[in-house]
Amino acid sequence: MATKGYGAQFTRDAISRTPFPGVIPIVTNTNRVAELLGAHGIELARHLRRMVRDDDVAQDLLQDTLLRAHRALTRLGPGANERAWLYRIATNAALNYLRDKARERRAMELHARERDADEGGHANTDGAESRLALWQRVADLPERQRVALTLRIADELEYDEIAERMGCTEAAARANVYQATKKLRLGGLP
Amino acid sequence: MKKNAVEDQAVERIVVQAFGELTGRKGKPVRYAMMADTPVGTLGLAAGEAGLCRLEYTKDEDRFLERLLGAFSGPVLRSDALDPALRALERYFEGKHLSFDDVRVDLSSLPEFARKVLRETARIPAGRWLSYSQVAAKAGNARASRAAGNALHHNPVAIIVPCHRVLRSDGSLGGYGGGTSNKEWLLQHEGATLL
Repeated sequence: MATKGYGAQFTRDAISRTPFPGVIPIVTNTNRVAELLGAHGIELARHLRRMVRDDDVAQDLLQDTLLRAHRALTRLGPGANERAWLYRIATNAALNYLRDKARERRAMELHARERDADEGGHANTDGAESRLALWQRVADLPERQRVALTLRIADELEYDEIAERMGCTEAAARANVYQATKKLRLGGLP
Repeated sequence: MKKNAVEDQAVERIVVQAFGELTGRKGKPVRYAMMADTPVGTLGLAAGEAGLCRLEYTKDEDRFLERLLGAFSGPVLRSDALDPALRALERYFEGKHLSFDDVRVDLSSLPEFARKVLRETARIPAGRWLSYSQVAAKAGNARASRAAGNALHHNPVAIIVPCHRVLRSDGSLGGYGGGTSNKEWLLQHEGATLL
């Protein structure tokens, strides 16, 4: 798989047969992971899939998100807003993936341009490039704005739905999306 | 949120596969939904491919999900797929439509006599009731009223399989898994004449 996700290496089987003596295995409570996945899996998978537009990558990122959230929530103890944590971690994971992909694509295009220049032609950029560039700029926003904006544009959620997922007020969700779009426009977007 | 069936399928496939990878839970998923703040409290619903297999009174989603993960070995996930059953329950509580003819129920995991008892119970119309021994007789064994009572007490699909419409022969309420005050509320809501 193209991603550098951590999903596969932390499966239950892998944990139970950790081959390295002296290395403390990562203790994963599979029941707790099952609870998080059962309660939030569908909406998180939809969020990730809409951002990365690839089922395998979305699954990889979902697994990564669940394991990271599980560790974070274990540390935080009861009372933490698990849904907000999951969305934060999922959004960051997807944006990281998209940033790496944009970097990869730019490298490939540079290579193609050099080759085309040798052959006297010129490379063309397509819509995917500008989409990736936009996500990259979303990744540079403050975290709450970043999460709110992706829920708004990728998941097409209403502000009350965004507020529910982020554990904030509707007004705060609206303000975060507004600030985010303002910053992106200031950067020279149409 | 705008959604479509192709997206829904792809999304569910992703979650089911993640379940297999992370928790070892494989196979057909059980989907669930919550219905909070009904007149009889919070309800949890769950369905497999063959139909609705749980409708339980529960404290909250965490508790219900925990029970489902204990009862089923495959993936368990919250899903919009139960929306038709939720709408049927809404209509029921609003008093608009008291029967659940269009909700498919799956009782295949139960022993035969229990299944027969519940199937007979599902035939009792709203506003009416039968006694434990009457239901036992309809299920094929008039002397098994205690076994019938036991089957009704363990009814996995409350309200929709209306075990609350089975009372003691003298018309007193008898027991109810969801609490006798809820049993009474349901019967009165349906317009049953209680003795």
